[in-house]
Amino acid sequence: MVNLNTVKPRNGRNYYIALGLEGSANKLGVGVIKHPRLVSMSQGDNSHNCDVEILSNIRDTYVTPPGEGFLPRDTARHHRNWVIRIIKQALEKAEIKDPRLDIDVICFTRGPGMGAPLHSVAIAARTCSLIWDVPLVGVNHCVGHIEMGREITKAENPVVLYVSGGNTQVIAYSENRYRIFGETLDVAIGNCLDRFARTLKIPNAPSPGYNIEQLANNCKNKDRLIELPYTVKGMDLSMSGILAYIDSLAKDLFRGNKKNRLIFDRETGEPKITVEDLCYSLQENLFAMLVEITERAMAHVNASQVLIVGGVGSNTRLQEMMGQMCKDRANGRVHATDERFCIDNGVMIAQAGLLQYRMGDYVKDFSETVVTQKFRTDEVYVSWRD
Amino acid sequence: MSLSHTLTLNIPFEDTHQADIAMKVLQPDPILKPQDFEVTYTTTGNSLVASFASIDDRVLRVGVSNVIDSIKTIIETMDEL
Repeated sequence: MVNLNTVKPRNGRNYYIALGLEGSANKLGVGVIKHPRLVSMSQGDNSHNCDVEILSNIRDTYVTPPGEGFLPRDTARHHRNWVIRIIKQALEKAEIKDPRLDIDVICFTRGPGMGAPLHSVAIAARTCSLIWDVPLVGVNHCVGHIEMGREITKAENPVVLYVSGGNTQVIAYSENRYRIFGETLDVAIGNCLDRFARTLKIPNAPSPGYNIEQLANNCKNKDRLIELPYTVKGMDLSMSGILAYIDSLAKDLFRGNKKNRLIFDRETGEPKITVEDLCYSLQENLFAMLVEITERAMAHVNASQVLIVGGVGSNTRLQEMMGQMCKDRANGRVHATDERFCIDNGVMIAQAGLLQYRMGDYVKDFSETVVTQKFRTDEVYVSWRD
Repeated sequence: MSLSHTLTLNIPFEDTHQADIAMKVLQPDPILKPQDFEVTYTTTGNSLVASFASIDDRVLRVGVSNVIDSIKTIIETMDEL
């Protein structure tokens, strides 16, 4: 049986405080959370119901000009420049007077993500751990999203759809692992949307696909989809072909390539489609693929709930489509968090890290704190669940 | 090719404890190309001593500048927190 009260809070307190540091992509996040030490936590799997209190949640995003992506080197420099200031702000907001006494554990993202940004935050985490004499926990970024989503929505055992700028996975829990049922074979969905946004020269802030969603909402021809490749391969997806195809359509549209009969009317030479139509069709097509594999995963594990996490998870159209599918299944429900927690943040790292810490699983040797760009969701032993 | 290009940095800290922390923070990270670049960290008194060896000046410059970036973060953490 799971006992989440294995480790006592430091300094004789009756609650745990965790500091979470996230910097696996262009977002730098620091969060402080508090878990009361409840009796119920020692009596079985209650890891989705910790009564978490968020004391602070500070984020700073490295923003690149529209039409450009973020590069590892520049992102790492941004994180290095800001990480200490953001930690300071987060501690102040959480009213942590003396970190040596008031913090139980420092949690940081070990992977997956871009190496250089991960490393720059890990350096700060290690130093804090040593100067304050506070234990460290290295957290898998995907598990952070899952645990934060479970805690907020109270979904006990959902099928998790993790959709962000760097990841696209359908995950279900089984025997102490979050197992990957299906995933993208090439680019992530957020990356696909972001790269199309770059072609359209629209910004990628605040979350992947946000501005495409806004354009898609303004689409006036929702009854007429532009035909795009639909590439579901078993439980997996492929999106690079769709991206290349829609990119070529957009470029023909901008260049005024009248030879393209799909875009320009044969007689009048007027464009038949708009940028809004392209965005709408791209979303519908990609999300339909996601809904298909999610439904199949639900049938496999006999689940009725879906939890959507990750930056693309804040897309209301995706939530709506998933909701429709769940409604058609018996007693289905969709859980999604809002942009505060869908987009990368420090709180989610603190939540997953604190669960792990409370099971007695923390860094004993600094060689365990080496960051890793490739860190599969199912590599993590989930000790805090039955 | 041998690691013929070398450089040693002496970074003074306020006390031996701080120098020791800096060494512990830097040490765990593996070198991506061990055949091209090497670094060892030691402490003498209040100072952190980083000794680099590399196959050419370009690799040396990149490697050293990465380590200096990390050291800057460490020092800022010690100063501010």
